Amino acid sequence: MTRKYELVYVVSPEATDAQVADLHTQVEQIAQRLGGKIDKTDNWGRRKLAYEIGPHKEGTYVLETIDGGGELMKEIDRRLKVSDLIIRHLIVRIDEEQSVIDRTRNRRTESSRRRRIARGLPPDRQPGEGQRSDMEDDDRFDLGEVER
Amino acid sequence: MNGKRSFGGGGRGKAGTQGGQQGKDGQRRPMFRRRKVCKFCADKIDDINYKDTKLLMPFVPERAKILPRRISGTCAMHQRKLRTAIMRARQLALIPYTAE
Repeated sequence: MTRKYELVYVVSPEATDAQVADLHTQVEQIAQRLGGKIDKTDNWGRRKLAYEIGPHKEGTYVLETIDGGGELMKEIDRRLKVSDLIIRHLIVRIDEEQSVIDRTRNRRTESSRRRRIARGLPPDRQPGEGQRSDMEDDDRFDLGEVER
Repeated sequence: MNGKRSFGGGGRGKAGTQGGQQGKDGQRRPMFRRRKVCKFCADKIDDINYKDTKLLMPFVPERAKILPRRISGTCAMHQRKLRTAIMRARQLALIPYTAE
């Protein structure tokens, strides 16, 4: 019974690339030791933080998707908490949410196909066929003025 | 068709200019508002993810507080998901807690 987790950690901007890579291998080792594995890694690179954390104004974000059990994530959480280089981290379980998302998405496409077939149309939307293309200039959601 | 704006409502409660669909609401108030629609339902966005700051930013205006449902028109389910996403993004300093 393995679960899927997502781990994001923010590494201090002073850390070198080698140190960031080292953190990744550390996580990988813990995962292997406790019978999990890293699904994929994504380094977002250096980003500005939305607020200052201690002396830091930016940080290197790394995202890891991990297959494993709760014990594994507990251990990783503990290790990340102790680490000096890491200024923030977040562990989220994603398999349940993902299945819900997939289910709703499937249900939606299926029902739309059924309706289209009932109307005597081909099940998938044809190119150039849009329900309401005039919605493009709709100002319903012009909340864009908050862009900073 | 950028019609008249209703007073108040922070410039967001737009006066609808669509003909025909002005039903019950229009009768009571002198200025009727466009019915708000949940953005996530309308655009069929299933996944409200904390990593997607571009999606979340419009819901945390200047003071960086979460935009209430009565203003954004988001449905209850999506507002709930939005809230967790924003709170997670805040932990990772992707979105501010407050604006200075």
